[in-house]
Amino acid sequence: MTKTPYAELLGMLSRHRGVVGSFVVSERDGLAVDSNVQIGVHAEAVAALAASLHRKARLACGAAGCGVVTFLRLDAEKGGVLAAGRDDLVLVTISEARANVGLLRVEMMRAAKALA
Amino acid sequence: MPDEIRRLSDDLARDPSSLVFMPLADALRRAGQLDVALRVALRGLDRHPYLPDAHDVLARIHADRGDLERASDEWEMALRLDPSHPQANLGLGFVEFRRGDLESAERRLSAVPPAEQTPGVAAALAHVRSALGARPANGAAVVVPNGSGPAEPIVAPEPTAPIAIAPVETVVAVQTPAPPLAASAWTTPRSTRAVPEFPSPDPTRTKQLFDSALDGSDQHALLVDGDGLVLAGAYVDGSGKDVAEVIAAELAGVSSEAERAMRHLGLGAWTSLLVEADDAIVAMTPAPNGSLLVVTASRKTPVGLVRLLLDRVLARARDWLVRVS
Repeated sequence: MTKTPYAELLGMLSRHRGVVGSFVVSERDGLAVDSNVQIGVHAEAVAALAASLHRKARLACGAAGCGVVTFLRLDAEKGGVLAAGRDDLVLVTISEARANVGLLRVEMMRAAKALA
Repeated sequence: MPDEIRRLSDDLARDPSSLVFMPLADALRRAGQLDVALRVALRGLDRHPYLPDAHDVLARIHADRGDLERASDEWEMALRLDPSHPQANLGLGFVEFRRGDLESAERRLSAVPPAEQTPGVAAALAHVRSALGARPANGAAVVVPNGSGPAEPIVAPEPTAPIAIAPVETVVAVQTPAPPLAASAWTTPRSTRAVPEFPSPDPTRTKQLFDSALDGSDQHALLVDGDGLVLAGAYVDGSGKDVAEVIAAELAGVSSEAERAMRHLGLGAWTSLLVEADDAIVAMTPAPNGSLLVVTASRKTPVGLVRLLLDRVLARARDWLVRVS
């Protein structure tokens, strides 16, 4: 089995406390390029939705003249989804409420620069 | 019908990744088993998220459940995947018709290329044009004639478009001087649902609704409905142009997608969406009636403060929505 260039990055993110999965997804078609998720996580569906949310945020920010989207954070009652994109690729992490979002944000933004 | 459902269920059980979930969900919908139909359609979409026909089936189920907002989202998704999808155009035309936006419904249905004009689209177009013709220029109330006795539904042909439009009683209500709100009927053969009336707020005041809750000229707030239309607030870009409608349109469906993502993950209801961009921070949160509240602030503003602003503006939006609903 061949490792993708993102395997190490995804493995590193998934080792964080409270992270239940992370993946690299193509924003254009919502397909997961690579993923590292716990059993039971609907990676494909969530990847598609996260890519779509990122695309909408990017287009809205473009229309508002806010510049390029660097980070997106979707919060819910018991956790959330974090995303950092570069060109067509978006790095997505699914986290529980106990995750250290600040640390994940810094690591994801740094890692996003290495995407593509 | 039960035989058909049983046969399709067996087929799906044999091959869960097959596309048979679409006719099965549609058959269940037509049999009135909406909850089961919804589950089948959602499960199928998990496996095949880029099939326009699957989104069309899901939209029909939502429409039959009376959830026009979600139906509209799904038909829009179908159109994004296949811009000439006739059933999605038909569905969105019906939604606009139902909301009383006859001009948009007419525009949408007549934009379907002749080659794609199914009998259902043609019949719906004829009906919308008839309703448009019956609308008086002075905005007086009018009942669009549709004969007496049981309504004669315009039914799109099976199996591709089993949705029916039944003009049971098309009433154009009048609110002078505001434009008339059309309480049109869009029903399935099983039910007739009324469209709730929505007052027409003063547009100049709605644009300034959040001004007093914001702290500076670099902060903006918008209340956007589930269809991506501005309800209140304003957004003027650096060149002085009001781009609120464009932003709202781009954000259409954010709320339902966030909700679906959280449902898949079992993380509970979504509470906020924070977007960091080079020059601004954008925060969003779900607001009443399926709407979305958007607050933007310059990059200088601390993220924590943006969230506080969001809470403050949300309180204002809730209060306003209660007053106008």
